[in-house]
Amino acid sequence: MIKLEDVTKIYPDGTKAVDDVTLEIEKGEFCVLLGPSGCGKTTSLKMINRLISLSQGKIYVDGRDVYQMDVNQLRRSMGYAIQEIGLFPHMTVEQNVTTVPRLLGWSKARCRERTAELLDLVGLSPPETFMRRFPNELSGGQKQRVGVARCLGADPPILLMDEPFGAIDPITRERLQDEFLRIQDEIRKTIAFVTHDIHEAVKMGDTIALMRDGILVQHAPPAEMLAHPKDSFVEDFVGSDRALKALQLMRVRDVMDETPPKVRIDESLETARGRMQELGVNFLAVVNEDERFEGWVNRRVLRRSGEQVKDVMMRYTVTGRRDTPVNEALSLMLGSAIGNLGVVDRRDKLIGVVTFRSLSEAIQASYSEDEDPDEAHAERETAA
Amino acid sequence: MKRYLPMLVALGGMVGLTIWMTNIGQVGFFPLAAPSKLLREVMRHLQIVVYAAALAIGVGLPLGFVLTRRAFRFVSPILVGLTNMGQTLPTLAFIGIFAVVLGLGLQAAVIALAVYALLPIVRNTYAGIRSVDPATKEAARGMGMSTAQIVWKVELPLAMPVIMAGIRTSTVLNVGTAAVAGMIGAGGLGEIIMSGLAMRVTEMVLQGAAPTAGLAIALDAVLGTAEQWLTPRGMKPATEMVFRG
Amino acid sequence: MLFETWRYIGNNWAYIGRLTVEHLQIIAVANGSAVFFGVLIGIFVSGRGRERLAQLVMYLASIMITIPSLALYGFLMGILSALGLRSIGFLPVVIALTLYGLLPIIRNTYTAITEVDPAMIEAGRGMGMSELQILWKVKLPLAVPVIMAGLRQAVVMNIGIAAIGAYIGAGGLGQLIFRGIANWRPHLIVTGAIFVSLLSIAADLLLGRVEWLATPKGIRTRGRA
Repeated sequence: MIKLEDVTKIYPDGTKAVDDVTLEIEKGEFCVLLGPSGCGKTTSLKMINRLISLSQGKIYVDGRDVYQMDVNQLRRSMGYAIQEIGLFPHMTVEQNVTTVPRLLGWSKARCRERTAELLDLVGLSPPETFMRRFPNELSGGQKQRVGVARCLGADPPILLMDEPFGAIDPITRERLQDEFLRIQDEIRKTIAFVTHDIHEAVKMGDTIALMRDGILVQHAPPAEMLAHPKDSFVEDFVGSDRALKALQLMRVRDVMDETPPKVRIDESLETARGRMQELGVNFLAVVNEDERFEGWVNRRVLRRSGEQVKDVMMRYTVTGRRDTPVNEALSLMLGSAIGNLGVVDRRDKLIGVVTFRSLSEAIQASYSEDEDPDEAHAERETAA
Repeated sequence: MKRYLPMLVALGGMVGLTIWMTNIGQVGFFPLAAPSKLLREVMRHLQIVVYAAALAIGVGLPLGFVLTRRAFRFVSPILVGLTNMGQTLPTLAFIGIFAVVLGLGLQAAVIALAVYALLPIVRNTYAGIRSVDPATKEAARGMGMSTAQIVWKVELPLAMPVIMAGIRTSTVLNVGTAAVAGMIGAGGLGEIIMSGLAMRVTEMVLQGAAPTAGLAIALDAVLGTAEQWLTPRGMKPATEMVFRG
Repeated sequence: MLFETWRYIGNNWAYIGRLTVEHLQIIAVANGSAVFFGVLIGIFVSGRGRERLAQLVMYLASIMITIPSLALYGFLMGILSALGLRSIGFLPVVIALTLYGLLPIIRNTYTAITEVDPAMIEAGRGMGMSELQILWKVKLPLAVPVIMAGLRQAVVMNIGIAAIGAYIGAGGLGQLIFRGIANWRPHLIVTGAIFVSLLSIAADLLLGRVEWLATPKGIRTRGRA
């Protein structure tokens, strides 16, 4: 989808910002350009939409040389988001979001519809209230969401993002990252994403393109990069505590029990106790008629008086998703009374459970992966 | 030196133009101003400007300062509003009204100019002192400076660039207004310009106009330099547009 | 004397009205052209690689503004008569006021355009706006209030200078003051001073309101001005 071929950028003062980089980003791939500052990652990104001209080499988008295309058409065909956001303060949220659609001559009604759709997607609801606001009436996190919505404006197949979450506080950043991953799950864009934050890279990227001094050092899926660092720079940059990173890298879906012991909210306490005995466990997940996750019961609460499960259960609504990083799942579990984490889908339906046991098995496995990278890689491929 | 080059070129041009016009001596029936007369009017012009500036600074600085003190804060919004409005008033209206009240002559001109110059000086003194970071003052107090010491060693030096900008603005502006004051019999270069205009002798108009412009340019440069000198190092000099009259 | 002034105004309101209209005509023509040229020059010198030119233009304009109005009228008389044009009346005054009005407008246009957040421009460019679209849709809307503030300064300043222009026959309210001084008729002086001041204050208030209205909603920082 995006192909850089022997791309070199030399500035007039002679500095070589990008040196003979060849990189291919597949359709639907989320590629993170990672590296210390001054490594040429932003320059590489900006050469794709020709904000920076290239000195040598070729860049193809969808097989077409970007220099054979009209520059403005090229840019309008890909979303662009930057750290500073750059929202237009004199335009409403709607006008900002529909900047490109309006450049493309969409009708008013279509623009409005698109705005509503996008604001809903980025979690600014109800869209009607946010549409008419101006950027100075939004919080930092909300501005960033509008920035993301704007870059999705005309539904471009490609997104270029330059540290889009770089300027916000860590908590909001985490949340936006999670939400963006969820969005990406739905929309499956081809994304080039610049960051200098290794955690962000590992969390977000399908692949990481690690750069140093203008050179592309390694382009590989995060797991592979952690497992087989190509040289000592990669090893240093991604850090020595690889097992921990690997933990962070794993998602709940890799470690959860997909057939959790469960009980319906309206079943009797007798039934619950019986099922626990039968399965040899000391907890059950509670779901309602629609399979939605409601909470937990364990042996202790089942000793309380009552008739149905719902009379005694612990209502506990903190849950994880399939793609929640395992380290996050761990902290959620440590903070809960039950020590387990329910995994739900978008409709809150229970799809699995993470327990300390399943986690520690995963950690064990990651240590052995560390010793035998090839096998670990193969395992991850099957898991994913 | 390079910074002053355009100013020196402009100033040199004005002086040259003045000498050229004066050397013509006579246009038709009309004799132009003689060198001695011209010099006298330049001095007179300068006198009007300097007297007015001295008066305005003498009254405006203390007034602006007093307004920043807590006891007088309540009148300051009114006075600041008044000075802002006063600045929108045309200079000619000012001069006219003062001539009506005080009669024609030097006195009315100087007082009219002084009052007009007072406005930016009061406003800038007030604004300059108010803009001193309270944390700086608190630090000074915390280190044991007396109130007077805080005023002299902290507030005034820090407010100086803004105060000086006000003085510069109003003084340069008054070079032009003093020319208009020639009309109410105060003398100065305005008189030469006006007789030139009245007799339609362009040479005479230029004979008065060139030194007036030269005076404005020179005073602007001198006061600009003073402003830089008086600006504590580590602070940027304030800039403000000159309002013409 | 106040009574005399009052009676004079009562008897001559049509005449005063005509002088006010004359005054406003001069202001309108002069500031109209100052805005036209000032904005064009401001946009031109804010272009990339023209920083030195911008500094020079701004410097020239600021020297321009230190030149006393009577002196400038004098210079223009000299130049216009050398060119064989009418050297007194409407023309020299309009030219002088245009020149005076240029500085605030060029400077405000330049500052507003060069101070637009570069992130915004990059975002616009990155989304495929052409340079012209960036100028029209991003830079200028953001600069309009600042340009309006410059215009307001220029108009208020020029109302006063136009009054002095009456001395070289441009008409307007300054005429009352000059006639009053020449023939020593204090009520004429007071009438002229009052009306020219009222005009100035009214223009200031009105343009303040226009400035507020011209500010895009999203960047209005305070309430109604």
